[in-house]
Amino acid sequence: MKILVAVKQTAALEEDFEIRDDGLDVDEDFMMYDLNEWDDFSLEEAMKIKESSDTEVEVVVVSVGPDRVDESLRKCLAKGADRAVRVWDGAAEGSDAIVVGRILTEVIKKEAPDMVFAGVQSSDQAYASTGISVASYLNWPHAAVVADLQYKPGDNKAVIRRELEGGMLQEVEINCPAVLTIQLGINKPRYASLRGIKQAATKPIEEVSLADIGLSANDVGAAQSMSRVRRMYIPEKGRATMIEGTISEQAAKIIQIINEFKGA
Amino acid sequence: MMFGSADALVQLAIKSRDPYVAAAVHELATGITKLELEALICGTRRTALAIARWEHTPASVLTALAGVHDEAIELRLDKNPGTSSSVLSGLYEEARSKDKAGLTKLIAQHLNSGTEVLRRIALHANDSECLLALSKNPAANAKVLAELSERASGSDIAVAIHKNIAQNASASAELLTRIFDASDVYTQAAILGHANCLAWLIAKAAASEEVLMMRVLARNRRVSKESLQRYAACEDAGVRAGVAANALTPVALFRHLIKDKSELVRREVASRVDLSEEHIEALSRDDDIWVRQRIARSPTTSLDVLYRLAVDAVADVRRAVARNSMSTVHLLNMLAEDKNAWVRSGVAYQANASQRILMKLADDKDVDVLSGVANNPNTPQSILKELVSSNEADVRRGVILNKSAARNTLLPLLEDPYYLHRVLLVHNPHLQAQDKWSLRDDPDFQVRFSVYRWAANICLKMPDTFLVTK
Repeated sequence: MKILVAVKQTAALEEDFEIRDDGLDVDEDFMMYDLNEWDDFSLEEAMKIKESSDTEVEVVVVSVGPDRVDESLRKCLAKGADRAVRVWDGAAEGSDAIVVGRILTEVIKKEAPDMVFAGVQSSDQAYASTGISVASYLNWPHAAVVADLQYKPGDNKAVIRRELEGGMLQEVEINCPAVLTIQLGINKPRYASLRGIKQAATKPIEEVSLADIGLSANDVGAAQSMSRVRRMYIPEKGRATMIEGTISEQAAKIIQIINEFKGA
Repeated sequence: MMFGSADALVQLAIKSRDPYVAAAVHELATGITKLELEALICGTRRTALAIARWEHTPASVLTALAGVHDEAIELRLDKNPGTSSSVLSGLYEEARSKDKAGLTKLIAQHLNSGTEVLRRIALHANDSECLLALSKNPAANAKVLAELSERASGSDIAVAIHKNIAQNASASAELLTRIFDASDVYTQAAILGHANCLAWLIAKAAASEEVLMMRVLARNRRVSKESLQRYAACEDAGVRAGVAANALTPVALFRHLIKDKSELVRREVASRVDLSEEHIEALSRDDDIWVRQRIARSPTTSLDVLYRLAVDAVADVRRAVARNSMSTVHLLNMLAEDKNAWVRSGVAYQANASQRILMKLADDKDVDVLSGVANNPNTPQSILKELVSSNEADVRRGVILNKSAARNTLLPLLEDPYYLHRVLLVHNPHLQAQDKWSLRDDPDFQVRFSVYRWAANICLKMPDTFLVTK
């Protein structure tokens, strides 16, 4: 039994940042990298299945990205993932989520897992489409925004609960293998133990080239993407106004605003 | 071996190639070694930006970063609460020469900005945002605020600046008095609540019928008893609540206040520690939960009343009894059996809880209860040793924060998965130097920084100490 977890190293921004000269992204100096928050939950869900199973379960984490991504993959290994795979080629720079989905799909075909987990979305780009594009390329069943999962290794069906608007849950039975995008809060992700961190530091990360998975530079990158960033910018500030004055005056103004909204 | 001296510690930091470790010992270094540390700290722009932003970065490192002359770094230094007065002074010159009002504003509001810089901003800055920021800064002394007020007089921002000065702790009595007459009622109320407000101004304002002023004055210990009596009969609940909170309010007024139609007033009365048994008895039967809760927490409440409140229908009231410093072991034993975990948790945190009660609560499944047991200095060491292996981080943190937790109990926590716990252990007085030093190669940069900073502080405080361990 094998579970493949697709993970991404995402960038968080500092309070003050600068846009790159080409206007397409934030200057990398102002980015703080970490494992995508949603992926922490996906990995934990895979680890829960592994740890509660009587049969052997292998958890493989896969990411598409440059060398720096190894840090996030090691975090996954420290938390208990068995193997980590990183795919990269300079030509993949500028790939949109659909192309990344295609790259992941080729790795998945080689790995032949029984289940694929991904985060609902990435915290930096928020397209929420990588997992779903993988399902499409694989032609596997898929479910998005999974907030609960009942599945045992070997089962040909899983029962999931999907989070919907208005706090509703939708219970769905899904055929396996399947691609599930996991929602925040489905579990309580663990901290990596110090022992796990030390062991992860010595574990190899399998570096896979495009050729290794049957792709070439012509299959990836901005040119092959269906969407391309034209520019990134900070919009003009809205109409927010600071409420000034003494503390009682600020309180009086807030009461006045509330009353106006209530129509009083 | 542990580091032997300040020089040895600096050499270890250089050898580590870790910019955060370099920052931790920077203050100890001189000459070439200092430059080597700075090369690590500024190794990449990305690292320099992160360290300039970090709230734990030592002031000496921030001073070194000011020499990089990178506007993005300067912005972070202007915002960093640890930036020294001298660095801010230099940054002000730079911001002024480049006409950067945004940076000047940050310096104007920085608590470490020196008087001379703030004075120059008061006298020369033309940007209203800078002047408004300065008027809020308590680091600006009375003279600077007076000069700012003088300069702003007659301008569009004079009113706003005076509102801020009225709330600035550094404002002098003279300035507040000068502002008072020309101000609106909000500013006047703020001036009356200011610690430096002159007594005659308070006495003069006591006759006012303005609700805002009465609310402030009702809480002021400098108003007369006659005024308090008048305020106690005011229609506005906020004014009456002020009287109820005032330590000088005559006991005779409590009879009315404990029956006040507003629960806000009754809550304030219930918070007092000078209530008679009769008042406490009446308030303990109040319909308002928060009134009963405050009585249940009060150290002046009698045991009889506490026993009654210990069976109150509301769990928050029962928990308040459990937290009451006067609750006896017998009462706590009873509350330890409460069906509500939040109440049992209150017992678990109680300084009066006996070892027997804590041992019983150690079998609880609730994380709040177990956290309380872990925190309680009365908990037997054998129980603490068991709690160290809890899956709940809150429980393990309770043991780390427990003042009675012995070294042997704490040692396994040096391997705790949560980095913050390891940072806390670096500052734990029960652990020995070699225990803390064992964390020097921790995977988390904040732990490594804490260990080296701890070691650097020893060297700074006791420069002749030669620390060696096995």
